[in-house]
Amino acid sequence: MPCPSKPRLLLLLPTATYRATAFVETARRLGIELTVASELPSTFEQAQPDRLVTLDFSDPERAAEQAAEFARRHPVAGVVGVDDDGAVVAAVIAGRLGLRGNPPAAALAARDKHVQRRELARHGVPVPRFELHALDEDANALAAGARYPCVLKPLRLAASRGVIRADDPRGFAAAFERLTRIVEQAGCSRSILVEDFVPGPEVALEGLVIDGRLEVLGLFDKPDPLDGPFFEETIYVTPSRLPAPAQRALIRCGEAAVAALGVREGPIHAELRYNAQGPWLIELAARPIGGRCSTVLRFAIRETGNEKRETYSLEELIIRHALGMPLPGLEREQRAAGVMMIPVPGAGVLREVRGITEARAVPLVEDVAITAHPGEALVPWPEGSRYPGFIFARGETPEAVEGALRAAHGRLTFVMQ
Amino acid sequence: MSSAEIRITAEPIDNGRCKFLVSEPVHDGGVRRFASPQEASGSPLVEAIFAIPGAEVAEVIVSGNLVTVVKRSAAPWQVIGKPVGAAIRSALAGDRPAVAPKPAAPVAAGGADDDTLYDRVAELFDSQVNPMVARHGGRVELIDVQDAVVMLRMAGGCQGCGMADVTLRQGIEAMLQQAVPEVKGIVDITDHTAGANPYFAASKK
Repeated sequence: MPCPSKPRLLLLLPTATYRATAFVETARRLGIELTVASELPSTFEQAQPDRLVTLDFSDPERAAEQAAEFARRHPVAGVVGVDDDGAVVAAVIAGRLGLRGNPPAAALAARDKHVQRRELARHGVPVPRFELHALDEDANALAAGARYPCVLKPLRLAASRGVIRADDPRGFAAAFERLTRIVEQAGCSRSILVEDFVPGPEVALEGLVIDGRLEVLGLFDKPDPLDGPFFEETIYVTPSRLPAPAQRALIRCGEAAVAALGVREGPIHAELRYNAQGPWLIELAARPIGGRCSTVLRFAIRETGNEKRETYSLEELIIRHALGMPLPGLEREQRAAGVMMIPVPGAGVLREVRGITEARAVPLVEDVAITAHPGEALVPWPEGSRYPGFIFARGETPEAVEGALRAAHGRLTFVMQ
Repeated sequence: MSSAEIRITAEPIDNGRCKFLVSEPVHDGGVRRFASPQEASGSPLVEAIFAIPGAEVAEVIVSGNLVTVVKRSAAPWQVIGKPVGAAIRSALAGDRPAVAPKPAAPVAAGGADDDTLYDRVAELFDSQVNPMVARHGGRVELIDVQDAVVMLRMAGGCQGCGMADVTLRQGIEAMLQQAVPEVKGIVDITDHTAGANPYFAASKK
């Protein structure tokens, strides 16, 4: 029987998440009571009503009512959302139940790219020049008035889905038409952002916000240039190899963005660029890093007097923070680490992946996880948003880690039907 | 077959657990689970795995072509996997069976022996668990009960499903705790990477 003295976490897991195992197993290890909330019912929900619940993620206020009703029977001590929609729902639930969390306005601003740009610009955070347009507008007229190169992006799709660069009016019109189809297929807002393309290397900043203060958990370089026309991500490596002043400027930019959006509590994942003009905030999400990428973040406490270390995952820090449990330490382990989101090899149906054993045998590679299943249709960017798998490596230097990721990827062969 | 021809694929589940898929059968006599070096006595493969320096192996489960290793050390599977692979090759090349036959069922803590537990868990799976997962095209097979630990395999819509661990921990394990409280643990030996028709496929960032 559940022990009432154990705190209960309400974990908002969309059914399309990569994150279930990482969060569920961490919760078990911590010995807390866990309730998983999803937007679709589990087949066990009626049998285990204290452990599984369905919430309407599309309507945060209604979800908060459902959560409040649940909490009357099973008191909740913390709430965590793992994706963009879940972050908004978690914020509203936290407000309703008096739990640690973000103001709903902050979570909403982090989710909507236009609201976010507007708030950041209003607070003086450097963002690309942007305009909001509707897909019902005349594409040729917009193309004639645009500055090039520019980037067209939907307001809410994740994983750079639908994000397209245009270098001239002809490219703009083609991108506009393609983005229209993507947005219509996804059934989301018919508004888009058109913004200046910002040249320069891109980084990802992972952080945990505690009482409004950003604690930086990791700064990842993205060594493959993200110059378009599409923006499928590949390699993340930490620590960053950018000069220290650039890193400090990027972190200050992240701190300013957190303050501008009003983010108060929980994980953030921000994407920034750096060039001769300084740092640029591209996007900030009030959620942890996506996919299986959190695997590479490991936090360590070195016991004094010997080499034995305890390590903690990002999920453990997030759960502990949400429940107000002591945080063991926020310092990432010393070794370099990296992940490759395996690029989609092309459009088609996957039959098999060869060379996994050989890829795993590459020195420094810790794992190769193929998440696409045989028979699955692989869809390249910008229509797609699902990586066929992930490669993880750890080593003494970022260069060595990056080399290992590339070598392992070179040993994989995707066989399509 | 020489040891050089044996192909082994390591599939880490997390930093503590890793499945090793072997190209030929390791143990044909059902599932065997070993929770200590003492229990491994007489099974050369498992003795060798428990003896890997620095691994702090806590558990080894062998079934058909699958060897699941659970360790306590923080050492990555990239380091520990190599001696595990060597142990598998060496054991399969030896004269003795890599894994000894399962002994008579011991009496588990609380007085319920594994055979009795197996029957109760099987009844629960038939009457409640499988009708539930069938709604998503899934199936859960009870493989064995050893030392009051349930070993199962997921199939159909559950195999490779992004929410499989939620089903396992929040659904099946919770039901077992309530209906068969003598059960001490649950081990999923599913090869989720081979799931061709998962009910929920992960796609979100």
